[in-house]
Amino acid sequence: MMTPLVINWSHVWMVTGLGFCMVILLLVVLIFILKLLGAVVSNAVKAPKAAQPKAVAAPAAQAAPASAQASADDDLAAIAMALHLYFNGVHDVEPTEIHIKRVERSGWNSKLYGMNNLHR
Amino acid sequence: MGDILEFFEQMGFLNMTLQQGIMLLLSFFLLYLAIKKQYEPLLLLPIAFGMLLTNLPGAGMYHSELWSAFLDANSPAYHSYGTIMREGGLLDILYIGVKAGVYPCLIFMGVGAMTDFGPLIANPKSLLLGAAAQLGIFLTFLAANSMGFTEAQAGSIGIIGGADGPTSIFLTSKLAPELLGPIAIAAYSYMALVPVIQPPIMRALTTKKERAIKMSQLRPVSKTEKIIFPIAITTIVALILPDAAPLIGCLMLGNLAKECGVVDRLSKTMQNELMNIVVIFLGLTVGATATASSFLDWSTIKIMVMGVVAFGCGTAGGILLAKLMNVFSKEKINPLIGSAGVSAVPMAARVSQQVGQEENPSNFLLMHAMGPNVAGVIGSAVAAGILLTMLG
Repeated sequence: MMTPLVINWSHVWMVTGLGFCMVILLLVVLIFILKLLGAVVSNAVKAPKAAQPKAVAAPAAQAAPASAQASADDDLAAIAMALHLYFNGVHDVEPTEIHIKRVERSGWNSKLYGMNNLHR
Repeated sequence: MGDILEFFEQMGFLNMTLQQGIMLLLSFFLLYLAIKKQYEPLLLLPIAFGMLLTNLPGAGMYHSELWSAFLDANSPAYHSYGTIMREGGLLDILYIGVKAGVYPCLIFMGVGAMTDFGPLIANPKSLLLGAAAQLGIFLTFLAANSMGFTEAQAGSIGIIGGADGPTSIFLTSKLAPELLGPIAIAAYSYMALVPVIQPPIMRALTTKKERAIKMSQLRPVSKTEKIIFPIAITTIVALILPDAAPLIGCLMLGNLAKECGVVDRLSKTMQNELMNIVVIFLGLTVGATATASSFLDWSTIKIMVMGVVAFGCGTAGGILLAKLMNVFSKEKINPLIGSAGVSAVPMAARVSQQVGQEENPSNFLLMHAMGPNVAGVIGSAVAAGILLTMLG
């Protein structure tokens, strides 16, 4: 599989050094692009809000996070409850047995005792 | 009587060599690891079964001599897929997908469709950790050269340090196809062993205080950013490094299909049906290249040893750069997330989380580690493109 060969060490070192530097360099370029992308997109999102009149923007800006927060809390509570029920087996699966007790006849419920003899 | 004798003469039992017997036992062992120990079973199982099929004497499912002729410029079968189709077995025909570099790219498409690049977009500095973790690739390239491998073979061995199976197969099929079997098996075996290989290195290179560092929450990433990201990365990387375009392009196509939200059917197909079919073909054919003559060789042992070295160097590179970044940065980062810069998604990120929680149970590093982890996928694909450009 391997054949004896003369190693061109200068080329090997060049590939090692240059190759690794190029990986770093290319990914550094990507970092700048991602940062730029983040800045551009966040500016684009902020711009329409800034363009709105202040009187309208202020209550909306205050109300939106509050409602969003409330909604997020509700979601979290629902998820937490669902997980609790799931992991603890506390769910509302009813047993299929019917638990209606058979009514015993006694002096308290007997039709017989409920009737009065009519005095004639 | 003659027919009966002929039947017995054709039996595999009578034609089996010692080496083939050893390879069959090895394939049984790998099947055991895949099924019982669940070491990367999705890939190890088809690889082990491919190894079993190719070493069955007389079955004729894979012909390494045909592929040697395919690469020999003096042979009439040189670069002739027609010869392969005419004279090859089932696994030869399926292997065309590896030879043409199709399967790794299709797998990358599925990987892209399953990956959330949000943590990377939220913290672009993660890319640096992903880049530093590629140190293992280049140091192993250097070491493999000194051990007598050719430069092309050394590049293929080095890419094991990227901890990325499809990338290793893609590069090796282009640079050193004769080493495809051992390299693929080394790459996938060590990916399964990430929870064993990485933690000792992580503990050795960090202090308790560093491992307990809590990181601030990542910013939310908008859908627009997630959609622009794959388009921008493909364009920039492919323009700078055209040889990395097939891998990065497919990875980002899969991711775009996931994030844009208008092609859910395509995205689901990439994640499930396409991915699964290609994994079967890739595993079987890569396993098939592990014939007795190519696998039972000293170079296989050397490749296995250097694979561990590559993984270790990559892990160390990511951690050391994270520590260096802490010297200059106001906002401290937990150096454990640097080890996730070797790809192995999401295993390496999980290891960062586990080791971090050993020091501080209330510390959640998983999402922070996913940034360098997916950066490692991009980094190893870029490194493969660079090696292909320089050595191909």
